[in-house]
Amino acid sequence: MNDRTPDAGELIYTRAFDAPRDLVFRCMLEPQHLTHFWGPAGMSTPLATIKVDARPGGVFETVMVSDADGSRYTMRAEYVEIVEPERIVWTEPGTGMTTISTFSDLGDARTEIQIRQTNVPEAARSPEARAGFATSLDRFAEYLGQLSGATGGRQLGGQP
Amino acid sequence: MTVAEDRLDATFTALADPTRRAIVAHLARGDATVNELAAPFDMSLPGISKHLKVLERCGLISRTRRAQFRPCHLEGEVLDAAVGWIEENRRIWKERFDKLDEHLRTIQRAPSRPRRGKADE
Repeated sequence: MNDRTPDAGELIYTRAFDAPRDLVFRCMLEPQHLTHFWGPAGMSTPLATIKVDARPGGVFETVMVSDADGSRYTMRAEYVEIVEPERIVWTEPGTGMTTISTFSDLGDARTEIQIRQTNVPEAARSPEARAGFATSLDRFAEYLGQLSGATGGRQLGGQP
Repeated sequence: MTVAEDRLDATFTALADPTRRAIVAHLARGDATVNELAAPFDMSLPGISKHLKVLERCGLISRTRRAQFRPCHLEGEVLDAAVGWIEENRRIWKERFDKLDEHLRTIQRAPSRPRRGKADE
């Protein structure tokens, strides 16, 4: 990933996919696609929990469910702009974080997505952040286990 | 977790300023006095002091009570927490994109996709 952090308040992630732009665009907008990838590793996003009202001011809601313990992380956002098949912008009123997804046609049926997140400081409270912290705490516990020379005791159940 | 989140919030706000980031970068190399920190900037001592107070308030730096020199010290753990959040956020998008990549391969392989770009497989 060609990532960079140009500003403390802004984060950028990019990735290229072997798929035509309008298909990639629809994946980021349609629940029947989002359900397949929205949750990171160890998290699923049940189709029934995804709300998409694809117009400015429309709702974008997801619930990520931990495969391990069933804990749920709700994201509530509102679409700001939808320009098919180039750009999707949503903002999370709870945190003020705005996420701008830009879709670039790379030719040969390849597409690059750039995710730009602005207003990051408050976003540390977001469900994604919480979900992330839960897993990072697990990993931290694992790391501590290694440091203290625990033998084979790597199955540390870190509670989120 | 709320206290930690508030602290993290304050840390991000503190780091949103380029001068304060430069101060943090300087202190990452070792403790320094206010005078030493002010040297590279075209800024008055009170101006630098104001930035140091913001950094101190969120716990990013600490100052010893010793006399007027009071060297500033970077609290690495607090910085790590902020960096940790960014790393976690990056990880979530990475894993999300890994899954999207897989999903795109799956649906493009499936014959029942009427609107796909290329049929060569």
